[in-house]
Amino acid sequence: MERIAIKMLVGDRAKYLSLVFGLAFAVLLIAQQGSIFLGLMLRSTGFLQNIAQPDLWISDPHIRYIADVRPLNDHDLYRVRSIPGIAWAVPFFAARTMVDLPDGTYKSVQLIGIDRSTLIGQPPDMTEGRLEDLRLVDAVLVEESARPKLGHVKVGDILKLNDKRAKIVGFCRAKLGFESNAIIYTTYDNAVRFTPTGRKRMTFILAKAKPGEDPQLIAAAVNRLPDLGAFTLEEIRWRTVQFILIETGIGINFGITVLLGFIVGLVVSAATFYQFTLENLRHFAVLKAIGARTSMLVKMILLQALVVGLIGYGIGVGLAGAFSLIGRKPGAELAVFFPWQLMVVSLVAMILTVSVGSLLSLRRVITLEPAVVFK
Amino acid sequence: MNPASPAQSATVSSAPAGVPAVRLVGVTKAFGSGRSAVHALRGVDMVVPGGQLLMLVGPSGCGKTTLISIISGVLNADGGVAEVFGVDWSTLNGGRKTVRRGELIGFVFQQFNLIHTLTALENVSVPLLVRGVDRHEANDRAAQALKDVGLGERMNVPPSSLSGGMQQRVAIARALVGQPRLLVCDEPTANLDGQTGQMVMELIHTAARSNDPTGQPRVVIVVTHDSRIFHYADRIEEMEDGRLKSRPSQVILDEAKHIPHYDKPSPDSGEES
Repeated sequence: MERIAIKMLVGDRAKYLSLVFGLAFAVLLIAQQGSIFLGLMLRSTGFLQNIAQPDLWISDPHIRYIADVRPLNDHDLYRVRSIPGIAWAVPFFAARTMVDLPDGTYKSVQLIGIDRSTLIGQPPDMTEGRLEDLRLVDAVLVEESARPKLGHVKVGDILKLNDKRAKIVGFCRAKLGFESNAIIYTTYDNAVRFTPTGRKRMTFILAKAKPGEDPQLIAAAVNRLPDLGAFTLEEIRWRTVQFILIETGIGINFGITVLLGFIVGLVVSAATFYQFTLENLRHFAVLKAIGARTSMLVKMILLQALVVGLIGYGIGVGLAGAFSLIGRKPGAELAVFFPWQLMVVSLVAMILTVSVGSLLSLRRVITLEPAVVFK
Repeated sequence: MNPASPAQSATVSSAPAGVPAVRLVGVTKAFGSGRSAVHALRGVDMVVPGGQLLMLVGPSGCGKTTLISIISGVLNADGGVAEVFGVDWSTLNGGRKTVRRGELIGFVFQQFNLIHTLTALENVSVPLLVRGVDRHEANDRAAQALKDVGLGERMNVPPSSLSGGMQQRVAIARALVGQPRLLVCDEPTANLDGQTGQMVMELIHTAARSNDPTGQPRVVIVVTHDSRIFHYADRIEEMEDGRLKSRPSQVILDEAKHIPHYDKPSPDSGEES
């Protein structure tokens, strides 16, 4: 009877397609909105995404998120370096600044300043030029996706950063931050020069534990110093995500969108499946009359629900996956992150949706009197 | 009456010895309760022996459909006894009743009730698949059943591409493919023109003349308003207000002959293509 159940399902193309696409749309909404939400959360961690070398990120202990930093003094760097177990500690600069464009306009850029000697904090990939050229006078690296934003600049072009001369010596690839601003890399010294600040200039101190040393113990030692806090990458990332989720309202707003998508998908799909069963109720009554036990009809309906659910899920997740591929293109403004956990969540949502639809249908079929065949 | 009829004036009192195909004693059924209750059956007694083509006739709302629903076990009686081949439906639970119904009874409906997303062959194979018959065997037997009703060439098309008469023949093939001992037909010619109706009745009449798998003559019960097919009956029972009227079949048939559209079939009656 499985074949019969499937043929009953797919035989009416219009209803079958509306069922499949209703479910696919619900799954797409959940997966796609979910992936954008996760993508935004990932982006909110800004330059953290691009730096993997340090064990500890040291800053003001009250830091709330990555872009909300009270800078440190230069001598804080020496205090950290003096802690036993520290292999290295280097300065790191991150600030938003303005770049003047040749056409007279300007752009906000994320200026990253890394240690001149070690180049720790460097961009993940170089696409043009040499990283070492960053040590040249006024040298900067521009992130690839910023080329069009900065007027299709090329190696050798001169930019004006706060009226200071900056020469492009190469291009790199790095993940963008929450504001999607162009990223410009330079040395720490240049960064401080390009962006005049007060007495405290250092955004972070990046530190590494010696081999065999426990980074948590070192972090505890740093935390004992006045006005300094040490965080692992995960800790600082989680502080940032929490800030975005709770303090900005983005979490609740996206949550509502995802929930609405789920509810709309659930209602539409469950109602369509229920309607499909209602329209076939007479056929189920005939099957009951000619000897089909209720358990057989239940299996048929569950099979129909499972088939339509899996096909709808496949299409929905496939479309969301294709969408996320677009978002992964270099320079894409779309913030998309599509981990396997999101597929599981979408699958659970789909199962819940078809369960509601099939439970409503099952209730009708189980209580169906075969006598209706004579009406 | 049909010349081949063995029991032209069978009545309750003339029930044959042994276990009858259908035995009803004081069957009652009401829908709703209290003052608004509709008493569809008010104590029906009837015995149908094997090998009989019984027609239940009467005005709309007289209880014909309720009666065949109870006989075929798709509806429970409120009171009385309804036995089919010696088994009282009220002694069976839902599942056993369903299985027994599938084994014993074939159905032909006024609206055909074919599943339009299946082919004719698949529709006919359904009763066998329900019983757990292997798909290939079910298809072979369904194909033979379709050939028996003259649709051997149209078995792989959906019902929607068949004429009304053809659809009813598919329904008859579906009803007979499981070799039922009792065939219950609800207004089988109501949606058909006269000639096609006669063709369908010929098939039902043939089924009534054949034996069931146990070698016993098959029983056919037809509910109808259509006086043009009364002559196929071995026996006619007339219902009124939830009761059987005790009028002889021949009288009912004679009256039907005076209805203008009464139309005895010609021997070469055909059907639309």
